[in-house]
Amino acid sequence: MQHVLLWIGLVLYGLGTILLIPSVVKRRLAIPRASLAALGLGLLSHAGAIALEAARIHRLPVTDVRSALSFYAFLLTLAFFLLYLRYRLASLGLFMLPFVFVLTLISAFRPVRPFDLSAFRGGWLAVHIGSTILGYTGFFLTFVAAVMYLMQEKELKSKTPRTFYYRLPSLELCDELYYRSLVLGLPLLTVGILTGFIWASRTWKGPWEFDPKILASMLTWLIYLVLFSTRVSGGWRGRRAAYVAIVGFAAIMVTFLGVSLLSGAHGYVPTLRQGP
Amino acid sequence: MNLTLVGINHRTAPVEVRERMHIPESRLAQAVSDLVHRGGIREGLILSTCNRVEVATSAEDSVDAQPIMQQFLADHHQFDLGPYQRFFYHYQQQEVVRHLFRVACSLDSMILGEPQILGQLKRAYALAHEAGGLNGSLNEIVNQALAVARRVRRETALGSAAVSVSYAAVELAKKIFGNLEGRTIFVIGAGKMSELAAKHLLRSGASAIYVTNRTYERAVQLAAAFRGTAIAFDQLFEHLPKADIVISSTGASGYVVNKECVAKILSARRNRPVFFVDIAVPRDIDPLVNELDNVFVYDIDDLGQVVEANKKQREREAVWAEEIVQEEVQRTMRRLASRDLVPTIVALEDRLNAIREGELERYNGRLGNLTPEQRQAVDALTRGIMNKILHGPITELKSEAGQPEQAALVRLVRKIFGLAN
Repeated sequence: MQHVLLWIGLVLYGLGTILLIPSVVKRRLAIPRASLAALGLGLLSHAGAIALEAARIHRLPVTDVRSALSFYAFLLTLAFFLLYLRYRLASLGLFMLPFVFVLTLISAFRPVRPFDLSAFRGGWLAVHIGSTILGYTGFFLTFVAAVMYLMQEKELKSKTPRTFYYRLPSLELCDELYYRSLVLGLPLLTVGILTGFIWASRTWKGPWEFDPKILASMLTWLIYLVLFSTRVSGGWRGRRAAYVAIVGFAAIMVTFLGVSLLSGAHGYVPTLRQGP
Repeated sequence: MNLTLVGINHRTAPVEVRERMHIPESRLAQAVSDLVHRGGIREGLILSTCNRVEVATSAEDSVDAQPIMQQFLADHHQFDLGPYQRFFYHYQQQEVVRHLFRVACSLDSMILGEPQILGQLKRAYALAHEAGGLNGSLNEIVNQALAVARRVRRETALGSAAVSVSYAAVELAKKIFGNLEGRTIFVIGAGKMSELAAKHLLRSGASAIYVTNRTYERAVQLAAAFRGTAIAFDQLFEHLPKADIVISSTGASGYVVNKECVAKILSARRNRPVFFVDIAVPRDIDPLVNELDNVFVYDIDDLGQVVEANKKQREREAVWAEEIVQEEVQRTMRRLASRDLVPTIVALEDRLNAIREGELERYNGRLGNLTPEQRQAVDALTRGIMNKILHGPITELKSEAGQPEQAALVRLVRKIFGLAN
């Protein structure tokens, strides 16, 4: 049942994204109701899929790559709705929704892995994965804000307004979104990494600290820490900060997808207590 | 429904003609009342602005309203319209609706999308209403025109891009700072243009303003006018870091602000963005300043370039607005046309029902004493036959609503069923 709901959600996300296109072409300011309705129903269906899975395994369903991706896509769509309510920006949909669609698509196509209950005993791992994904949600918004900032900044510097000048929000708003999502994402990722350490030190034997995924996570975390601290201490903002935020998100993609999907040595959750 | 519109606008008539045809607002109610009291005219609306004079009426079906309206204008202005005929345009029926919709949406304005026309139309509508000039289809059309204008405003960006240099400066400031609430403006050199730009910025929410000028007295004057603070010219750079928006228009022959000093300002501001509007010729701000991050420098030509781009943007938006107008014209015409059918349909039903009741009356004696149930059955039977006969013509009439063939069909139905005209 949950797979059917996930597929329905996927189709509705795709439909909502396609329905967005005319408003982008026509430079209409608001997102058409049909598009919002499709996305809203998609979100409900997706929520249903996650709730059913949670009821089945009695845990937050983030227990393999498939479910973690699905959960991530769900949070992003939810974030999109909240942001749309607050800022009424059609351009956000343009940046966020195709990504949501691709994530859901990958998730829907991944095979279902049997859930390894023993790894999740004690709850540390669920907290680790849950808060990391929440942090990633914040950082995706940081990334989108940075891209929108760079595009609008380029228009303003070039002094010849073109497409993006009319469609994208002000630099100030991009910066606000950028900073708030950064401030939201950083503590969540920090909690995620710390709980991961706690879980790993209790579960894995051997030198787990040099696991490529852990190293990639640490690097990601450092990038965002630098972004945050330079902003607070030295007023580091604007174009350069936006570039770093984009690099940071690329690092997340490598950590989250690249290492998880490609590394056969250790998948998302290592099999029983062997460590990497 | 018989709609006619006679008018002149900035495209068809020079200003000398427009001012001769102008009807001042104080005389508008009287004029509308005069118009609708002429034979055959049911409703009238007069819109008179500096760019246009439009007279619209709805009249009895058999009346040619155009000469009556021309005569009305001639009477009102007390001169012969003969020499001015070539400046007028005339519209009928659907074209009247389209023209009124386009005027309301500011698609017919000299500056595409300018907002004043909507207010002027609202005022004209209220005055015509008070004067008793609007109570039927024209009333509905003008009302609809106002609604269409609101829809265009909501669904397109026809009126949003700035098309004057000083508003372009405000628009750019908003693209950088979002809300201008609480922003600080610094005016270097007092002049007409910088004054205007500062005024627009203050009206958009900017809070504090500093003014400096080579002649300190002039700075004090301008600062007083804006309730701002005057700064001595040699203390300019001490205060400049406070400014989010700098408007410069000195008569200096060289650059007043260079890259080096802006870099210093930026570090004092912890890189919060600064927007320089340089309206001086020769320029006050070194164009190299624009190379710094978080700094945006626009000179007078750059602002002109933005205005040009915005005008093109409005033209692109106008295409979507025209589509909305087209859609709404058709919808309105369909609705009005189907309303036009109502008298014919009612007359047709009345006619057949009169026949039915007459025949029932005639046969009343021969039917003998019927029980109430039997009487009900006879009633239902005759009514059923009547409705079956009516079904065809009514469906046909409704399906032709809004089509050019409608009038001919109405005439035919009236003729074959013997309905009075």
